[in-house]
Amino acid sequence: MSTAAANGGAPAGAAPFTPLRERLREAADEFAGAPGAAADILAGMVDDVDRALREPVEVFPVAHHSPAAALAMARRLREKRPKAVFVELCEDLAPLLDELRNCKLPVALQAFASEPEGLPSKGGPLSVIAPITEASAEYQAIAYALETPGVELVAVDRSVDLVFQWDAARQAGPEGESGEQGGGSGDGAAEAAGLHGGAVGVEIGDLRPRFADLEEHLLHRGRVRHWSEWWDQYVEQPLARADHDTYRQVMVAIGGLFRRLSPRNARLAVDEDRERHMWRRIREHLAATGTDPADSVFVCGAFHSASPVQEASSTAGDGGFTIPPPTGTDWLYGLIPSSNSAIEAQFSLAQGAVSVASATWSKHVSARTVRPFRLKGQKGTGAAGGRSAAPAAAVPTPPDPGRLSGFLSAPPELDPLDEAELRTWCVDLVRLARRNGYASSTADAIAVYETSVLLAGMRDRARPTPYDFQDAAVTCIEKDTVPGRRDVRRLCEILLGGDRVGSVGYHSMPPLARDVADRLEPLGVDLGKRTVQRILIDLRAEPELAPASMLLWRLRRVLGDAVRPIAGACALGDRSVQESWDVSLGRDQRSLIELGYEGVTVEQVLEQRLRRAAWDPKATAASVLAAAEDAIVLLDSPALVAELGRRAVEVLASERTADGAPEVLRRFRALVAHFRGTGAGLPAWCEAFVKAGYAHYCTLLPRAFAEEEAGVGQVAAMLSFLFSLESTALALGCDRDQLELAVAQSHPEDAAKVALLWAARHRLGALTRDELRARCAELLDNPLVVPSYPRYLSGFAQALGPVPELAPFVVEAVSEAFARLPDRVLLPWLPVLVETLRKDAGPMMAALVREAGRTFPGRLGALDAWTPPWARAQGPGGDGPGAAPPGSGGGGPAAELLDRHRASGDAVAAVLGVEGVWSSPGAGEGGDASPGAQEAAALVGRHPAAAAAVAALIGPA
Amino acid sequence: MTDQMLRAPAEVEYAQELAWLESVDDGPKPFTWRLSPKMVRAFVLGSEPGDGLDREISQKWFGDRTFVERAIVTLASDRGLLLIGDPGTGKSWLAELLAAAVCGDSTLVVQGTAGTTEDHIKYSWNVSMVIAKGQSREALIPSPIMTAMERGAVGRFEELTRSTSDVQDALISILSEKYVSIPELNSGDNTVFAKPGFAVIATANSRDKGVNDLSSALKRRFNFVKIPVVSNRRSEAEIVRFRTTELLRRHDISLEVPPSLLDVLLQSFTDLRAASAAASGDDERLESALSTAEQIGVLEDAILHSHFFGDSTLRARTLAGSLVGSLARRTPEDLAILNKFWHGVVEPRGADEDGAGPWQEFLEGGKQAIEALS
Repeated sequence: MSTAAANGGAPAGAAPFTPLRERLREAADEFAGAPGAAADILAGMVDDVDRALREPVEVFPVAHHSPAAALAMARRLREKRPKAVFVELCEDLAPLLDELRNCKLPVALQAFASEPEGLPSKGGPLSVIAPITEASAEYQAIAYALETPGVELVAVDRSVDLVFQWDAARQAGPEGESGEQGGGSGDGAAEAAGLHGGAVGVEIGDLRPRFADLEEHLLHRGRVRHWSEWWDQYVEQPLARADHDTYRQVMVAIGGLFRRLSPRNARLAVDEDRERHMWRRIREHLAATGTDPADSVFVCGAFHSASPVQEASSTAGDGGFTIPPPTGTDWLYGLIPSSNSAIEAQFSLAQGAVSVASATWSKHVSARTVRPFRLKGQKGTGAAGGRSAAPAAAVPTPPDPGRLSGFLSAPPELDPLDEAELRTWCVDLVRLARRNGYASSTADAIAVYETSVLLAGMRDRARPTPYDFQDAAVTCIEKDTVPGRRDVRRLCEILLGGDRVGSVGYHSMPPLARDVADRLEPLGVDLGKRTVQRILIDLRAEPELAPASMLLWRLRRVLGDAVRPIAGACALGDRSVQESWDVSLGRDQRSLIELGYEGVTVEQVLEQRLRRAAWDPKATAASVLAAAEDAIVLLDSPALVAELGRRAVEVLASERTADGAPEVLRRFRALVAHFRGTGAGLPAWCEAFVKAGYAHYCTLLPRAFAEEEAGVGQVAAMLSFLFSLESTALALGCDRDQLELAVAQSHPEDAAKVALLWAARHRLGALTRDELRARCAELLDNPLVVPSYPRYLSGFAQALGPVPELAPFVVEAVSEAFARLPDRVLLPWLPVLVETLRKDAGPMMAALVREAGRTFPGRLGALDAWTPPWARAQGPGGDGPGAAPPGSGGGGPAAELLDRHRASGDAVAAVLGVEGVWSSPGAGEGGDASPGAQEAAALVGRHPAAAAAVAALIGPA
Repeated sequence: MTDQMLRAPAEVEYAQELAWLESVDDGPKPFTWRLSPKMVRAFVLGSEPGDGLDREISQKWFGDRTFVERAIVTLASDRGLLLIGDPGTGKSWLAELLAAAVCGDSTLVVQGTAGTTEDHIKYSWNVSMVIAKGQSREALIPSPIMTAMERGAVGRFEELTRSTSDVQDALISILSEKYVSIPELNSGDNTVFAKPGFAVIATANSRDKGVNDLSSALKRRFNFVKIPVVSNRRSEAEIVRFRTTELLRRHDISLEVPPSLLDVLLQSFTDLRAASAAASGDDERLESALSTAEQIGVLEDAILHSHFFGDSTLRARTLAGSLVGSLARRTPEDLAILNKFWHGVVEPRGADEDGAGPWQEFLEGGKQAIEALS
């Protein structure tokens, strides 16, 4: 490039680079600082170009997602046929490149470490991705190198480990925002960000102003909204038709300017270290293989092509630079699917920028201005597909090197394709808009066309860019409301190629993903499809599908929403025979692939996760029991279950509060029911859990009763555990005294807990029902206590869990309140009661209502003659119309049977050492049989065979 | 001329700038436009060093450049331009500037109201002249839109959606056929054809949506440009400063607005907008749209108050009073919201500064004003 050109000396006018030169000169003026510094910078840019051109290894500057760079690259490679291609790509990602053949682009090369070791980054899994799109220079270089025999492809950038090692220095610096950053910053990019997860992106050819002011200045002066648009207008379009030398000079000059204007910070220092690293690897390779530097090409970002670093040359020495050793982090490598919008979100490009780039690339390919390189077997919709380009027309005759000024003064060539293309866009957009509910017509197509041209003219553009077209379409078609799901801007993006989503082919997936694909095959699941697939399984008709169904349940546990059961269940004691699933593994390929980094099979990953959950420092007894439950349901591995169970005992014993008691109780009951139901009996760990739980909850009980933090529900759950598992615990050697002492030590203040304590004491026999009754009556008599009566009631309601036999009494307590309280107290008090019961005793209400239904008469007419059972029992005479006949004891056929055969009852009493007295003097045989007993006797009389059979079974009659 | 007008239209106010731009403009001009589209843009948005102009052109409308470009391009095309947005977003001001730059006359305005009739859009008759001489072109009173057609100028229709649908639809034929026929007159002279350069700029308030919806036939003939509420703090500050300077000059008041008070005003509006956005129902939302125009109104009120009743210095106390006075429209809902705002947002801000800043005074002033109104 001549100095005159760089200084803006060429005549202003039609030259394609004039606007670019203007913008760059302004930027240099604005940000140079000292008055004379601009000239120095411009002269420096020329030096940069000079230096890059003198380098024996051909430095090929590129920018990311630049079709112009891809075009220039393809042309140059066809012309030069280099023997070695060096690429600015993490050196340890290189082995993955060959796998690109099996994939549909865009995909991203990924390095993944679940447990970073010795890296300054904050914990958690680390992930680095490098997306590859078809419209990129690096893909051309990769495809050329891999498809041409004898050509070596060498990735020379720092390893992934160093990305994170050097990252610390970056983050310490004042700005580390643009370029390489965590994904998901863009708006409407939720799904997009999801594709890459929380990965750190690295890209080849990151070329963007390094500080916000410069970028803002360029955008403002360039009258564009976004950096991608600026690049497209000022660099991309003019460069698309430039020859190789012009291309290189312009790119190096831009890189040089940005470099000279970028602030000296930690990021720049990292960049310099990267350059030293890259050139050292290049020198090493050249020395090792003896390749002629002239036969090699170094593909790097334009920013790096203008490096002032001394060591950045094939002829320089190392200058004392040493590559730091890798840390102990274990990196795993793989490919994950990517998409245009994911790339845009990751690198904060304008929405649609990558799609526009790929549309431009396809246009050039179909116009046969270039013959692109392509990996054999590459899937995808690339325009180059199977077409063989016309070779003669493809390679433009290279103009004399150094004739940049001639090129600059040439008038811009207007591509006849552009006009036809714009027309097609307009027509297609109107059609698309109509399909999306807009009332657009041919008139709109004409208006969009006209408006695009006018806008382009106003914005000093030779022809309308996709951005102009988009603006024009919004102006002409968008009205006050958006009729459908998509607005015009989105429709334009769809029209211009839309979001292309890549996928990773079967052979490039990790073993786990391949295993899943194989095992789901019987269900007809196609992992390549991006749609949601509905799977119906009938295990009764096709029992052979059971393993596949189980795999789905396991995937559900480890992957979450990628597989969703619509119908069917798989839980303790609940396994449905018919299932219906929504499977979207194709869309969530990344999560499946990342699962592959954790293990070789889903089962292994699940086991690891369960173990990790159980041994997590934050694990609670409830969470460990949940893990054990999952192990039983999903893995069927008694050894693992036992291990998790032992861990649960450990965790329970070390817990200091009763917070998780309800959950522990629920889960443990279910587990006990499962083990008893399957006939295997309680395993050792369950018994240990009962023992530990009994002692643990006894210890905690007095404190839980007293502390305000422990809710009444938790205390009730503790009591439930203690009472319901008491027999098992006592059989295993626990001491009941412990529980009695604990209850005796409890002195609650909260009314609900007091009621709960009373219930517990009743259960233990320390408080009779009459005493309970008397206490409640006392409460109701005391007008000062009445307002807190609902709290007592909710305590009683909670007590239905640990002491279910108390249900009639609770009904009585509620009824008494209604019977005895005057209306002026009752009415304001009712809402409080309802509120309290709803809040505290919700789950118990069902039992309470059932009991009430049994107690109260079912019909209105019966109400007059009805006496509550408690009143009957209390009544002095006890001979009311509904009173039970004396001497019938509990009543019922069973009692009568016992009464008739007193001998057996006496024998049992004698064995137990109890002095029993029969309540009625009669010997029983001659007593009046109740209708129930008569019926039973009549039934037995009618069917003597059954009785005889039973008798035969029991023994000799 | 501007001395005798309370408020001069844009073409008078910026007559010099327009004349100068016209003199240096060598770009292609559509129809009979005074300026080329690029110069119209420069006039509205101010000049850039890259435009290559010797003289600086001030920025008059603040907002995204794309909106202006889209509006200009629409005027050059076959369709009408409909600027739509919340009240106070500068729609009418943009329409005025565009009309002034394109044809040098921004006063051909029809104001849409419920009482607007078709006569206001087309023509009416001078009744006494009709009685005296019969119906003739002399007895015809052309509407502003018709005048614009005759001259090839830009006609403006303010608040299009406030007028009834049948009146709106009178525009359809004007926008598509570009002529108005006058059946009362004899043939030969009974059609007024629009001259090249004729265009219509309408504005509509997005809050009026649903009152008188545009028919789809009319929608088709308009390009919609949505003007959003300015949320960028920097450009909002610029707008407020720009409009206030103009106002001070108009009233001949020499009073300085301290930047710290401007900050207080902008911050309060930002906070109130955030609160409005988070509110769940209309009762928890101020009735005001909290637009930039509203901010200017508050500042204007405070300035006038300090000038005529104070010591010619703008104080935070006065500003707080004006803010409460302007925004409290419904009692008790708006007052309750402002009360909550003052105690929840302003008070902590006042507590944060060390007694020297304006927030403390702003807090007290606001509390007094709320007390006075409740």
